[in-house]
Order: sequence, then C-alpha cells, then structure tokens
Amino acid sequence: MIPLDKSADLRFRIDKMQFAALLGLMVLGASFIYSATLAHQSNEVPLYNEPYFRQLVWYAAGITLAFVVCLVDYHGLVRWSYVAYWTMIVLLVVVLLVGKTVYGARRWFDLGFFKLQPSEFAKLAFIMAQAHFLSRPADELRLPANFFKALGLMALPFLLILKEPDLGSAIVLIPVGLVMMFAAGVPVKFLRRLILGVGIVVGLFVVDVLYAPPKWQFKLEEYQRRRLWVYFGRDYTSGLANAAERDKARNQQRNDSYNVRQALISVGSGGLAGKGWCKGTQNALGFLPRAVAHNDFIFSVIAEEKGFMGSVMVLALYSVVLFTGIRIAGQTRDRLGTLLAAGVVTLWFSHIFINIGMNIRIMPVTGVPLPLLSYGGSSVLSALIAAGLLQNVYIHRRSF
Amino acid sequence: MLVFDQLQKNDRVLRALAWGIAAGLAVLLVGLYYVQVISAQRFREEQKNQSFRTVRLPASRGKILDRRGVVLADNRPSYHVSLYLEDRAIREQFKARYRQAKGNRRLTRDQQAQLARASRYEVVSNLVAELSRVLREPLAVAEAPFTRHYERSLALPFPVLTDLNPQQIARFSESSAIPAGFDLEVRPIRWYPHQTTAAQLLGYLVRDEGSTDEEEMSFNYRLPDYTGIAGIEFAFNDDLKGKPGAKSVQVNNLGYRQSEIIWSPVESGQNVHLTIDLSIQKAAEVALSQALNEARGAAVVMDVRNGDLLALASAPAFDPNVFIPSVSWSVWTNLNDEKLRPLPHRAMYGTYPLGSIFKIVVGLAALEAGWDPTNIITSPGYAEVGQSRHRIEDLAPPGDYDFRRGFLRSCNKYFVDTGLWVGLDRIVAMGQRFHFGEKTGIELRPESAGVLPTREWIRDNRGAWFDGDTANLSIGQGDVTVTPLQVACMVTAVANGGTVFTPRLVDRVEPPDAFDQRPRKAFAPGRIRSQIGVSAHSLSLLREAMLADVEDPEGTGHDAFHRGRHGPPLLENFRVGAKTGTAEVKKGRITVDKITWFASYGPCESPRYAVVVMVESGGGGGTTCGRVAQKIYQAIQAREKAGALGGIQAVAAISGGGGN
Repeated sequence: MIPLDKSADLRFRIDKMQFAALLGLMVLGASFIYSATLAHQSNEVPLYNEPYFRQLVWYAAGITLAFVVCLVDYHGLVRWSYVAYWTMIVLLVVVLLVGKTVYGARRWFDLGFFKLQPSEFAKLAFIMAQAHFLSRPADELRLPANFFKALGLMALPFLLILKEPDLGSAIVLIPVGLVMMFAAGVPVKFLRRLILGVGIVVGLFVVDVLYAPPKWQFKLEEYQRRRLWVYFGRDYTSGLANAAERDKARNQQRNDSYNVRQALISVGSGGLAGKGWCKGTQNALGFLPRAVAHNDFIFSVIAEEKGFMGSVMVLALYSVVLFTGIRIAGQTRDRLGTLLAAGVVTLWFSHIFINIGMNIRIMPVTGVPLPLLSYGGSSVLSALIAAGLLQNVYIHRRSF
Repeated sequence: MLVFDQLQKNDRVLRALAWGIAAGLAVLLVGLYYVQVISAQRFREEQKNQSFRTVRLPASRGKILDRRGVVLADNRPSYHVSLYLEDRAIREQFKARYRQAKGNRRLTRDQQAQLARASRYEVVSNLVAELSRVLREPLAVAEAPFTRHYERSLALPFPVLTDLNPQQIARFSESSAIPAGFDLEVRPIRWYPHQTTAAQLLGYLVRDEGSTDEEEMSFNYRLPDYTGIAGIEFAFNDDLKGKPGAKSVQVNNLGYRQSEIIWSPVESGQNVHLTIDLSIQKAAEVALSQALNEARGAAVVMDVRNGDLLALASAPAFDPNVFIPSVSWSVWTNLNDEKLRPLPHRAMYGTYPLGSIFKIVVGLAALEAGWDPTNIITSPGYAEVGQSRHRIEDLAPPGDYDFRRGFLRSCNKYFVDTGLWVGLDRIVAMGQRFHFGEKTGIELRPESAGVLPTREWIRDNRGAWFDGDTANLSIGQGDVTVTPLQVACMVTAVANGGTVFTPRLVDRVEPPDAFDQRPRKAFAPGRIRSQIGVSAHSLSLLREAMLADVEDPEGTGHDAFHRGRHGPPLLENFRVGAKTGTAEVKKGRITVDKITWFASYGPCESPRYAVVVMVESGGGGGTTCGRVAQKIYQAIQAREKAGALGGIQAVAAISGGGGN
C-alpha cells in the first residue's frame, strides 16, 4: 500500500499523453453526439435531457471514478476483484430476470434517470479477476486445472451475456481472456488448442446459421441470425420458388441490411474531407436510424461529417490510448500490472475494431459501443474506469 | 515513437500484442480508405439517389399572336389546392391517430402497416372535409389515389382540388380556418381566349409524359406537360414548348419533402407571331358559319403582293380549350363526327373537285395557245362529247358565247369545246404552273397535295383517257382535286401578274422577353415559288372576264356583290374579280354532294387580296360562297380603313401587278 500523502501529487505522475488522447476523444464524442441528435429533437428539450449534455455529465462522472480508482494501488484493488466479479455475475443473472427488454434483449436495469448495462462493468470485473487469478507463479499456470479455471472465469460471464442476448459484448471477452492468458504465460499449447477449439465452434456455428435446415439450426434470436446472414451476404430469396415469398424475402433482406447499408453510405459519402460538422445529411434526414446514430453508429456520423481525415483522427487518438496502454503494460514490474494493462488494451481494441468494422461492413452488426464516442452512461463509465485502471498501473508501477 | 517503440519491445508477448493491434488498426485504416476515398463517388451517388427526387418542371408555353400582336393562344394561371404532407402538424396527426387506433394491441408488421395506412387516410380525409366546409364545396378524397400518392410521390404535395374558380380562390385565401398543410399552388395552363376562332389553325394540346431528346436524365416525377397535336401548336411545338427545367426535392428516409433546389431553370417557350389578322379571321369564320346550317367549308384570305395569309378559316370549328386539362370521351366522339369533322383544317387538308374554278386554267391555256377570245360558240344548253355522245349539262342558257360571256356565265359548252381544242397536255401544263397536285409548302401539317391528272398520273391510276375525260376536266370535274389554299395561290398569281408564292402563315418566332438572348427566327415575306409565264395580254383578258363575272348583271358572282339585279354594288370603291364554281361529287352516276366555290381577288385596280371560299353542300358558288366572300371583303375594307393591314414589317410590294 502506498501512503496516502503520496497521492497528493498523483496528477503529475499520470500518463499525460494518454490522458490528452482521452480528453480529445471526449471532446469529439460530445460534439458529434450534439451533431447526431441535432435533428431529432422535435421540441425544445431541457438542457439536462440533451444527449450531448448527459454525455458530458457521464464524462465528468467517469473521470471522477477513474480518479477514485487511481487513489488505491492496483494491488490493493485486485484484492476486491473476486467480490466485484461475483457481484457482476449476480447482476448478470438478475438482469436476465428483471432487466428491461429493449428490441428483444434484456441488457439493462432501468434506474429511471439511467439505464445500467451490467455487461459493460462485468467486462472490467472479469479483467480484474482474471488478472488476479493469472498473476500466480508460472508453474501453477502450467497445470491444466488452472487453465480450465481461467477458462471457466471467462466462460461464466460469456454465457450469461450471450443469454441476454448480447453477442458482441460476449464475444469481446474471448480476445481479452486469450490475450491475458497469453501474456500471463499460459502454455502456448493450451492456447493453441483453445483457439483451434473456438475456431471450430465458430466455424460450425457459421455453417449452421447459413446452411443448416431450420430443424438443425443453433438456437439464435431471429434478428441475430439475420444480422449474420446480412454480414455473410446471404441471398434471402435462394431456395424460394414462390414469387410472393421471394418478394417478401427480398423486402426482408432490404430491411435487415438497411442499417449496414446506410452506415456505409454515410461513411462513404463523407469522402476525403467530409461534409462539415452538423452538415451530415444521412443522419439529419433520418436515413441513418435515429435510435442508433448517436450510439452504436456514432462513427458513421463522424466519418460523414469529417471524412477520411476525421476517421484517421479518430484512429490516431485511439492508437495513442492503445499504444500508451501497451507501454504501461511494459513498464510495470509485476505480472499483475501487465495483465491488467493488456486486458484493458485488448478490451478497448476489441470494441474499436468491432464497432468501426461494422460501419464499413468488415464486421457484423452488434451492439458494441465505441469507447467514449458512443452515447451511453454504462459504456462511458466503463471505458473511463478502464482508463483509470491503466493510469493506476502507470502511477503505481514502481511500488513493488 | 510511441507506436514503433512498442513494436520493437523486448517482451515477446507485448510485442505480439502491439503488432496485433497495429495490424487491426491498419485493416480499419485500409478499409476506411477504400470506402471513403476510393469508393466515395459511388456512395455519394447512392446518397444522392436516396435523398433526392428529381421533378421535371414544364416551361410555360409560348404565346401565339396575330399580325397585330393580339394573343390567340395564351397562358392563364390555374390555381390548385394541395396538401403538403411533410407539414409537421400533419405528421403528428398521423402518429397520434395511429397510436390511438393501435391502443395496446400487439400487431404484426403487416397489420401495423395497414393500420398506419388507414390512420393516414383518416387524417387526410378529415382535413379535406374541413377544407370542404370552409370552401363550401363538396370535396372528397378517395383512399386509393391518396395511398398511391403517399407511396409513390410523397415528395410532391398531394393535389386536393384542381383549377379553382375565382370564388373558391377568394374563399381559400380569405379564410382563416384553413387547416394547416393546405396551400394554393399556381401553374400556367393553356388558354385560347377567342375559343373557337382559328381553332384548326392554332391546333390543340394533349398531355405529354415523354421527354425531348435533349433531356437525358430520367425524372422521379413530372408535372403535367402538354404537346401540340395539330396546327401551329404542333408545327412550332419545339419553339412554343421551351425547355423544361428540373428541381431536386430533398427527402428524408420516409420520403417526406425537406427542401428544394432548382438546378436547371425552365426556359419559357417562344412566341409565334402569325400573319393572320384576327378580325378578318373572325369575319371569315362568322361568314362561313352563316353560309348554311351546320356549314362545312373553308375560306382563305391571302395578300396577293407577298403570299401572306390574313385568314385561314375552316368550319365547323371546335374549342381547343376542351383539351385542357384533358378531353372527355363524349367531346372527343363529337370532334370525330364522321360528317362534320371539325378537327382537320379544310383549307389545306381537304381536297375537293373545283368545278368551274378550273375554267381559269383552261381559259389561260387556250388563250396562250392562240385561242381567239372573240370566237363565238353557240350553245344548245348542253355539251355532247365523243362517239358515246356523253352529255354534259349546262346551267348557262342556250345562246352565243365568246370568251367573256362564256366565262361570266360559266358556260360548260364553251369551255368543253375550248378544252378539247387546246387538249389535255396544255391544260395540265397550265395547271402545273399553278402547282396543282403539289403541296403549297405552308408551315402547317397535315397538308394535302390534291390531284392533277398528268399523263403520268393517268398511266399509274387510270390507264385510259378519253375525250370525255378531257371535257370533264375542262369544267373542273372528274379527277382533278385541289385544296382551297391551292386555289388561293392560283388566284393570287392571276391577280399579281403571274407570281406564285409560297403561302406564309408565320411571320416570326421570338422570345417573350426583349432581353432574351435566344435568336429570333424570322420568315421573310414574299417567298416566290415560280412565275406562271403567261402573257400580260392573256392575263388581262382573264381578269377582265373575272371582273365581269361580278359586275355584269348576267355574271354568276353578280348577285352576291350587288343590291338586287341592277342595284348598286355592296362594296364601296372596291371592285372584285371572281370566278364561281359548283362541282358535283358523284357516286357512280348519281350526284351525292355539291362543292361550291368562289375564287376572287380585289381591288381590281391594284389587287391586294385574294379571297377563296369553299362550302360543302352549298347551293351554288355565287349564291352560297359569293356572300361569304363579300362579307370578308367588308371586313378587309374596315381593317384597311383602320390602317391595320399595313405590312407587319415593310411589305415587299410586287411590281407588275397592276390591273390595267
């Protein structure tokens, strides 16, 4: 434990470059949420109901939480990781029972002023618990039993989140878990088998979704199946002889691929320089669905209004966060710090890759938010707490 | 550097992580470059396609004016009430009505769509009912057209009431109770202020959904446009029509209109100035229609000095306004009445046997061939030809005839003998000099050529030709047919000393605005087709005979131009030379109809006008058509006194016309 008096000059010891990048992302986030929701408001709404303002409030809350996280050395913090982990597991179970259903998924607790999405925090709890578990002596990691325990630690939230269903958030846990195991020194042979296993399961799953007759199909929500169909470019009308059915299928296909298509049009029509802030038409005219423009598809809005140059800027800011994260992982003297940093970096990267990827159609559409840019309290808080963890590792890197 | 430092880390694991992340970001960067830079054009195009609807804007049609600038075909504003569905208040109502109707029921997607449709229709029909109360006008909107409009043309306002009358316009603009969303729209629409006047000449319009060749783009929507089908409206359609413009309507994802951009302005149509004089045209039409009950006929007034047409009338007429916005079936049936046939212009499309009018050609051919006009032929009151002793009746009494008396009494015996003397070839050659059997080249379509039985024509169409045929031809019966316009060209040439003109109907085409840069098209007057090459002596003999036809109490044209058999002339200081004609239309040996003619020019001393009148089923050339011509001359005199018949520009005077 560090003496409390040392925390007084904490601000001088944070990774300033990363902090600057985070601030930059927050400025971008607030301004483009402003732009994305500009056309939605039919009437005057009070300031505290303006999405951009609420987002600023979340930023403030998130920065405060991150600061609080930094107060306590991460070694002290991870002692509570199993508590946090199991609390989150309980919450994930509870949300399946009493959660608010939106678009057929139970992912949220409705707290009135705010919809809490426990899976966002469960990811962090998982990183901490996994880091704690894996920071044991290297010999122990070679035991298959521990490997399976680590696997179980990952599988439990994975399955619960999958059940919500929230395929994207669940899948994010896999690279995070794998990278952490890899970083901890779990034998590569285990990991290879794991990757092979996951690969086969995913392959079978995709084949099943695309080609299996209905009776044999893996049980999926209808919309999830269709999102995957859209991603893999499946022709809905194939195998339908009836003209009316084909028509209906074609309509269905158009509806299902609508978001993806519109996001792609937004991004593409932005061109090199973009149309200018608040001048994007895709969002203003409602082609980009209003329900998602400011959260899951915020990148489309930025890319349309700021063009390729804007996209590069977003990627550049994220790179700073990610690579300073890796640097922090390398600067710590213990494996725990490395694991925490690697876990957070992988989590951020997975979100970024999946979210931006779905805007340009290299990833299927899932509800994975873009850290700090997407609108949403849970996502912002989780991203900033994660950043706080990174800074914590940086600040306390020499304390062992 | 931050990134490369991490890629070269000593720690194997972190190095791999750094490489993995760098690769992932590179994939995103390349993907974004592909989408935003390489494919940008395609997506921009796609974005435009889905958020813009192009609307074709027809140009306002050019006017058609008479020689003095009186407007014959105009545009009037037509007012429409439309419902702007993108109005926020209306869309809120749609939503509210839908929510109310849905309640807490769970519906399938199809049911939802159906309910939304029904709710929208309900809202709109309530709004229209409200409007109906304000305008005190029974209004209703049917579901099918509304739904169709909503689904296909949402970017355009929904038309509720078209072509409002002034009372409705007043009620609409003064009422404060008009529900939100309704607005008054103004569009120019064709209007013929003189109704039936010059109807066949002006032509008419029909709705046109096609594009001109220059318009390469396809439009999502088109506002109603028209194209000319007949007359000037057809012949000068390209000039009158102008260039349609285009506007883009920006729509949102539901298809509601957001804003408009006009990116190619309309270029209004050009005005066509005619050589026609409205009052003479009107007089000719009135006189024609009064000639008989349900008169069918034509009248042509031509300036003999330059071939300008001052009137080109055809009866019965129709009102071209009935074609705007569209013609009803019953009206269309009437317009195609087998007997009356009001649509085609009889002066140039109708071909008729010309009867005794042809004696002008036969007489000139004989005089030129050396026929002595003082030769006396004694008529028994009929003519007999050939071995079959084919008998041709004669309205002229038995007696002695020289050229003058034969002409003014229109003695068939005299002209049968003359014609047989001069022979088919010389008659046909003279007819060719007047361009019978050829189109005159007037700007209007369709025009007929008529028939002149040349040797070639006989070979192709008949084979044999007998003296009896020549005899028939000599009195304008048999195969020869002409249009009234061709006869006017002939009389013009006789009156002006031998010049055949191409008739001129259009003086110029010019933009409505003096500052318009578009070039104006001018059609020079006095386009000479040919000279008939007949000696002045023969012509003066003919003209004397034509004058006598009107002035000699015995002449067939006398009565129409004089008060009683020996009374004073009806026209003051205006002497007219003429030839009457009555052609029989035969089916087999039975006469089924008579075509009556009056071909004239005046004033005799210095001819300025040729007036040709043709009436189908008339009583006789002198009685039926002569009176029509006389009324036309009265109108001409009145216009001359008013100083209205000077040239449009300087009239190119033809010398050598004099009537000495």
